[in-house]
Amino acid sequence: MSTGLERQPAVEVTEDELEAIVGDRALARDNHLNAPGFVIRPDDVQDVLKDLRDEAGFDHLANLTAQEYPDRYESIYHLRKYADPTQEVSVVVPTTTDEPVSQTAEPVFRTADWHEREAFDLVGIDYEGHPDPRRILLPETWQGHPLSRDYDQEKPQLVTLTEHANPIQPDHHDDESDTMFLNIGPHHPATHGVLHIETVLDGETVVDVDPDIGYLHRCEEQMCQQGTYRHQIMPYPDRWDYVSAGLLNEWAYARVAEDLADIDVPEYAQVIRTMGAELSRIASHMLALATFALDVYGDFTAIFQYGMRDREVVQDILEDLTGQRLMFNYFRLGGVAWDLPEPREEFIEKTRDFLDGLPAKVDEYNDLLTANEIFQIRTHDTGILEPEVAKQYGCTGPVARGSGIDYDLRRDDPYGYYENLEWDVVTKDGCDNYSRVLVRMQEVEESAKIIEQCLDLLEDWPEDERTVQSNVPRTLKPDADTEIYRAVEGAKGELGIYIRADGTDKPGRFKIRSPCFHNLSALPEMAEGEYIPDMIASLGSLDIVLGEVDR
Amino acid sequence: MTGTTVAATDAASGLPAVPLQDTVLLPERIGELTGLDGFGLGGELLATFLAAFLIGNLMLAMTGVAGPWAKRKITAAFTDRIAVNRLGPAGLFIIVADSVRLLSKELIIPENADRPAYDLAPIVVAASALLGFAVIPMGSGLHLADPEVGLAYVFAVSGIASLGLVMAGYASANKYSLLGGLRAVAQNIAYEIPLVITGMSVVIFAGTLQMGEIVAAQHETLVEIAGISIPTWYAFVNPFAFVLFLIANFAEVGRNPFDTPEAPTEIVAGYQTEYSSVHFVLIYLGEFLHIFLGGAIIATIFLGGPAGPGPAALGIVWFIIKIWGVFFATQWLRSAVPRVRIDQLIEIGWKGLLVLSFANLILTAVIVGLIA
Repeated sequence: MSTGLERQPAVEVTEDELEAIVGDRALARDNHLNAPGFVIRPDDVQDVLKDLRDEAGFDHLANLTAQEYPDRYESIYHLRKYADPTQEVSVVVPTTTDEPVSQTAEPVFRTADWHEREAFDLVGIDYEGHPDPRRILLPETWQGHPLSRDYDQEKPQLVTLTEHANPIQPDHHDDESDTMFLNIGPHHPATHGVLHIETVLDGETVVDVDPDIGYLHRCEEQMCQQGTYRHQIMPYPDRWDYVSAGLLNEWAYARVAEDLADIDVPEYAQVIRTMGAELSRIASHMLALATFALDVYGDFTAIFQYGMRDREVVQDILEDLTGQRLMFNYFRLGGVAWDLPEPREEFIEKTRDFLDGLPAKVDEYNDLLTANEIFQIRTHDTGILEPEVAKQYGCTGPVARGSGIDYDLRRDDPYGYYENLEWDVVTKDGCDNYSRVLVRMQEVEESAKIIEQCLDLLEDWPEDERTVQSNVPRTLKPDADTEIYRAVEGAKGELGIYIRADGTDKPGRFKIRSPCFHNLSALPEMAEGEYIPDMIASLGSLDIVLGEVDR
Repeated sequence: MTGTTVAATDAASGLPAVPLQDTVLLPERIGELTGLDGFGLGGELLATFLAAFLIGNLMLAMTGVAGPWAKRKITAAFTDRIAVNRLGPAGLFIIVADSVRLLSKELIIPENADRPAYDLAPIVVAASALLGFAVIPMGSGLHLADPEVGLAYVFAVSGIASLGLVMAGYASANKYSLLGGLRAVAQNIAYEIPLVITGMSVVIFAGTLQMGEIVAAQHETLVEIAGISIPTWYAFVNPFAFVLFLIANFAEVGRNPFDTPEAPTEIVAGYQTEYSSVHFVLIYLGEFLHIFLGGAIIATIFLGGPAGPGPAALGIVWFIIKIWGVFFATQWLRSAVPRVRIDQLIEIGWKGLLVLSFANLILTAVIVGLIA
């Protein structure tokens, strides 16, 4: 379903060529399980990243992990290519414990802006030359950096009321100018959770937008670091993108942990996973469509209600499968918790019924939503996100595909059972709010195709070969200093996890790469210069879930 | 067009010969019935007051039903839901529960609110709509006054609401309110003109501004198809003007797709953001009254007022059905149509409706002139 934007095959860059590009600047090699790694000096960051981007084509800063070792701090830039995400390289930047200062990568990759703020906030690395070195998740008055080694968790954060900066206190931006400063959120009907957007308005036009996040920060990374690989981590991913995308999130952890500990997954379980994940995607996209309609229509209209109605059916099916409505905890390392519910035929038929009814419902959506003229004048050419800008911000998922970036990890970095199924990646090159809606709408149809094929497979699967889990040791202790970054195509985009094993049965560092975090950081690009309603629509079209942004 | 000719055509067309309600206005009738007319000016005043009280309460009761109950039920029907069904038959007693709830809520007034203006705004909004009903002939003898400038009066008093919205907007000391207030003014100015101009095309047809006369003028038969006579309701005579007026009216009362002054997802609740408890009830009531007043104007000048089959005594029933038809349309739009952006709204108003309404006015004038 590509729209003339055919994929350019990425030029394969060998490790030797990489070595040649990095050259003398490589102090050492630090290979990760997923990618070759180069250790460089903290003042070479921009040079090396720029060369890797321009000469080797690594145009996607997928993630930035910061962590503290007993003897040093380390920032890891996980690079990959939009054209071929299997080509990866890690750039490791160690800094001393006494003076953790590293050069900022913001001029090379815009998305490093928020990532480096987070690294400073949680770990305590300073990025020299950073344009906006503030905390991002924790309040400005927070004492210490929670993920650093000497942080005392027992010590209460005593901040007096007068000292504590009230984040919505300022009501002026610039006394001289005629602009108006407006706090949108943290409690506002259209922020999709507790998001605070500091907005400067000139009349009805948005001049400046600054999303302020962190209201829903729940220390997810640290909680995962305190759980054992085998069972204790799996429930957490459900709580990142908590609006029905649970199985997709679980898969992110399952994939990274299985690759880390070298666990095989039976084919049968892969099919069930694929089906479950796509059901989750449909539920998630339905909600995205419904809430986007809410943002544009302005009221709880028929569209919103229809979206919820159809999502409810999926939710029922998922409940039959997993026993839960939202917090599934259904995946296990090496497979899934249990087989399809008995009686199988009934479950398969129920799912088929839903799929059979879907085209009619999609038609209904098209009639009410995308074919509506007012909807079109509201969404066409608003919230423009050019593909180059989207890449700079590390946008992925429907947001990137709505900007014509043909990037889908299910196809480009295959996992699960996707390779063996017939389906298409949906891209639109409108770059506007309308394209993003269309992408989601058509992805629902593609997901339905995948589920259909999975059901056919599951129905005919020989009864004695239905292994849902492989044999996995009770305790997993991956070798110390094994590092890996793996991602899956979540509902909102590339949901990745970086794990460093430290030889125990718990991760030494667990870093979540949230697609919403990246997508939200692109909001100012889309909204500045537009009207307030378009900013709200753009925010809706990003389909963020604050649970995943703030983690 | 005189009353006698109208009555004659009525008899000929088979429509009930409505003894045009306006011949005896409600205050006079009450005066007669209660004997108050024997007490000079004081009695007349009291009778007028009683009549106004009756009509005011009728309208308030309708909004009372529409606000908490009908709106929910209609929207629910459009969106596959059930809505209120716990209290009383079809959930009707929710009206009582809601009134108690709303009135017993804490009245929170922002510290920096501009006090008299902040308190007056809800009253202005609600009162401006109520005043409009004074000249509307509702059938069954429910007609308070029939001044010669009836139509102009209705537009004038309902326009006062804009003032209330601005007051609410700036006096709340809230930026969302301010934005909502400004949007409301911009919108009302943009749509008031097409509304009045389109209304004028009816005046050209009827040759009068007097509401009673306008209704009377719609009693002739336009065409007769298979024994069913279609009356000369101006909606049938000039459907173009009817559609224009309907659209301008939706914008004027701030309903979808033109509900930008409130725009819940954009500016929270616009000018009513800071209003709670009784103040909120009044603003809300005012909005619904304005929808009904809009419906009443449409019914009067386009849909033959209280005219309908059956005895003339049923006039008020037909009239209320017509008003509710308009209300139903607003809720239908609310469930199905996206909101336009503020700049698009202004553009539609100034560049679209204004031009079309002038075209309609000129066209009507030419046609009426030719026929006459």
